[in-house]
Amino acid sequence: MERAVPLVVPLGQTEVFQALQRLHMTIFSQSVSPCGKFLAAGNNYGQIAIFSLSAALSSEAKEESKKPVVTFQAHDGPVYSMVSTDRHLLSAGDGEVKAWLWAEMLKKGCKELWRRQPPYRTSLEVPEINALLLVPKENSLILAGGDCQLHTMDLETGTFTRVLRGHTDYIHCLALRERSPEVLSGGEDGAVRLWDLRTAKEVQTIEVYKHEECSRPHNGRWIGCLATDSDWMVCGGGPALTLWHLRSSTPTTVFPIRAPQKHVTFYQDLVLTAAGNSCRVDVFTNLGYRAFSLSF
Amino acid sequence: MSSESGKKRKPKVIRSDGAPAEGKRNRSDTEQEGKYYSEEAEVDLRDPGRDYELYKYTCQELQRLMAEIQDLKSRGGKDVAIEIEERRIQSCVHFMTLKKLNRLAHIRLKKGRDQTHEAKQKVDAYHLQLQNLLYEVMHLQKEITKCLEFKSKHEEIDLVSLEEFYKEAPPDISKAEVTMGDPHQQTLARLDWELEQRKRLAEKYRECLSNKEKILKEIEVKKEYLSSLQPRLNSIMQASLPVQEYLFMPFDQAHKQYETARHLPPPLYVLFVQATAYGQACAHMKSSQPPRQDKTLSVAIEGSVDEAKALFKPPEDSQDDESDSDAEEEQTTKRRRPTLGVQLDDKRKEMLKRHPLSVMLDLKCKDDSVLHLTFYYLMNLNIMTVKAKVTTATELITPISAGDLLSPDSVLSCLYPGDHGKKTPNPANQYQFDKVGILTLSDYVLELGHPYLWVQKLGGLHFPKEQPQQTVIADHSLSASHMETTMKLLKTRVQSRLALHKQFASLEHGIVPVTSDCQYLFPAKVVSHLVKWVTIAHEDYMELHFTKDIVDAGLAGDTNLYYMALIERGTAKLQAAVVLNPGYSSIPPIFQLCLNWKGEKTNSNDDNIRAMEGEVNVCYKELCGPWPSHQLLTNQLQRLCVLLDVYLETESHDDSVEGPKEFPQEKMCLRLFRGPSRMKPFKYNHPQGFFSHR
Repeated sequence: MERAVPLVVPLGQTEVFQALQRLHMTIFSQSVSPCGKFLAAGNNYGQIAIFSLSAALSSEAKEESKKPVVTFQAHDGPVYSMVSTDRHLLSAGDGEVKAWLWAEMLKKGCKELWRRQPPYRTSLEVPEINALLLVPKENSLILAGGDCQLHTMDLETGTFTRVLRGHTDYIHCLALRERSPEVLSGGEDGAVRLWDLRTAKEVQTIEVYKHEECSRPHNGRWIGCLATDSDWMVCGGGPALTLWHLRSSTPTTVFPIRAPQKHVTFYQDLVLTAAGNSCRVDVFTNLGYRAFSLSF
Repeated sequence: MSSESGKKRKPKVIRSDGAPAEGKRNRSDTEQEGKYYSEEAEVDLRDPGRDYELYKYTCQELQRLMAEIQDLKSRGGKDVAIEIEERRIQSCVHFMTLKKLNRLAHIRLKKGRDQTHEAKQKVDAYHLQLQNLLYEVMHLQKEITKCLEFKSKHEEIDLVSLEEFYKEAPPDISKAEVTMGDPHQQTLARLDWELEQRKRLAEKYRECLSNKEKILKEIEVKKEYLSSLQPRLNSIMQASLPVQEYLFMPFDQAHKQYETARHLPPPLYVLFVQATAYGQACAHMKSSQPPRQDKTLSVAIEGSVDEAKALFKPPEDSQDDESDSDAEEEQTTKRRRPTLGVQLDDKRKEMLKRHPLSVMLDLKCKDDSVLHLTFYYLMNLNIMTVKAKVTTATELITPISAGDLLSPDSVLSCLYPGDHGKKTPNPANQYQFDKVGILTLSDYVLELGHPYLWVQKLGGLHFPKEQPQQTVIADHSLSASHMETTMKLLKTRVQSRLALHKQFASLEHGIVPVTSDCQYLFPAKVVSHLVKWVTIAHEDYMELHFTKDIVDAGLAGDTNLYYMALIERGTAKLQAAVVLNPGYSSIPPIFQLCLNWKGEKTNSNDDNIRAMEGEVNVCYKELCGPWPSHQLLTNQLQRLCVLLDVYLETESHDDSVEGPKEFPQEKMCLRLFRGPSRMKPFKYNHPQGFFSHR
């Protein structure tokens, strides 16, 4: 059967380069603006693109509505994580956190408000920051990544208040358990650790790969994504995506998804998850039904 | 007392009656001029009113007398008769009175009439006088108005304005003192001045005419002189030929070429002129060489000039020929009718006919290889085509995979993006093709040459898509603006193809030729090695399962060249499908990988393979090497070998499988995994020699 040949457009040097860039692009992080109308996405080239959700989701959406409103080079390395406060967008990648004003970002050529680097032990290679977490009650930001530690930064003063040590390999993801308040972190070492923010001590450790129901040795033991709903936790990565009951530290449901999951979140009563390794952000409006994709 | 009055009157009457007979005669003798009747004098004296009373009284008396007579007659008697007689005599007297009165009345009337008549006549005379006078008055008035309206011719002349007149006219004409006050004199003076001026101008005009005649005569003389010059110059040129040859300045040769160039069709002519100009400009810029000896670009015209001249034969000759050939044709058709297909074939051949002259350009590159371009013009289609050939200083042994690199068919493909030269650039040709059943020009490009867009531009032909023009004329400025870039692109194309040619020879032997100035990009020890390098067909590339992304992105057209490389280390086999764009090396080759080691890994199921592709496809600028970046492909292949090494050595050991790792880690890496995607360290850092993440 002949495969339909797509139309070949005469491409100059720049068009070829852009096409190749898009083919090899990975979007690592995304964040919705405080007003809810814009989505910021960060990719592996260090660029941040702002999409207009209201235009893309409206009934008259055309192809151009799905293109970014503005794109700029934010970091030198990949932008691994982003999080939004009520006025700022915080992005982190190669070792530093930068803050941007949401109101300013839509204009071309905007500059970062500030940038901070947590105190690292090694200076040979700058460790990446894989996860950012906002703790609204203390108005602080938790960073975790390549140096296997969790750093807390006070958003008002910009000083680094605590360092939580315990992981043996770099940290992939963070989640906040609001009631306690506790922070959960999952890492390359295969363990999910719970930390108490008031005492700055590790409270609980779950070594996921040691449980037979969910471990998949051929994938590895790393925990790629984490989400918590105070009593429950979902985590996945090398091992299969599993729902845990926290107090008893037992796995309750194992989701039958084959690919290692990269992002997961609780939304009302549904679990939304994405395992993207392309330049597209898949928007799931219902579990299992993909509405459309936003593309760089 | 009528009778008394009658009596009174009677004597008057009688007297007048008695006398008239004599008086008449007397009076008529004596007073002949004035009065015929004596009563005429009486009329003035008597009062008409009393006469009227008398008349009335007389009539009454008569009536009475008649009545008495009647009475008497009716009574009868003797003395009646006397009475009657008396009365009769009285009535006769009354009759006389009446008659006189009658005469008086008539005379009065007549007098009255005469007086009226006289008066009337007078009045008439006055009236007539009045009419005459009025008529004269009218006449005079008319004359006056005529005189007043009279426009003398002098008013039609446009005189100079008063100020100018006083300024310019000499004082003896303008006479300011007199003329200022008196407008009549002023006008006269002005007219005088006008006359003066006109006389002077008429003089001038005559002078100018005579001048003109003189000058015309001089021009004639000079023209004759110039025309006599031409044959003399020709003879000098002839005489200078041996001198030209001696000095290596072949003006004559160039002149002959220009002569031939006159017979070129317009687009070829534009190309010829622009290319020669460019060639001379380049030669001028190289000051180290003796002038005009360094010919990086040489232009020549080939073909038969006679045939070109024959195209424009005068109509009578061709008609004669036609009639002859028609006669011949008729004879042949009677014997054997050519089939419809043959007729169509002839029509096609006619449509695709080339002009007998062609322009040949030879581009010499630095390494003494030459690109020979022959440009043709298709007359009926109004497009130009080109055939290309590359010759090198030394004989080239063509490796198997390099077959298409320098082939005349494809060496110039896509010089500009998208310019594949398989379709005719002139939109009007489609209608002509439909008539003779030609589907597309690409069937004939092998013999006719390729109608690239840049070829049309060099010939000054522009076919705008939005407004198809009726006739497209060759434009020099279009050709001039594209000449330099096109020549440079042609040279880079030839050189890059030749470089690839050499590299392919080495690649087929399994050696990736990395030049010394690119060694720093790679670590000293590279274990994976290239095993195979072959060409694959476009269709085969499209069928491969791991190339779908490139195909979907529209980067795998049929103008590209496709190759398959195989890199091996131990049990691991890495297949790399390569898309080589004709615009190499400004457009990088695109690699798609498929690794066979513990299962099949491609970019769809292994992010690290995707990262490896990104290292060679996206980060190619680091691998370009020194300009003109002919090392790009070989550097990319070498980097792939390095990446395979890193991949294999950093693969995490699966605890469930027994046995040692097949590839012990030899590369120095700071961290094995980084980031949420857990990438391997593919970036090589020079000169420290360790691997890190991007």
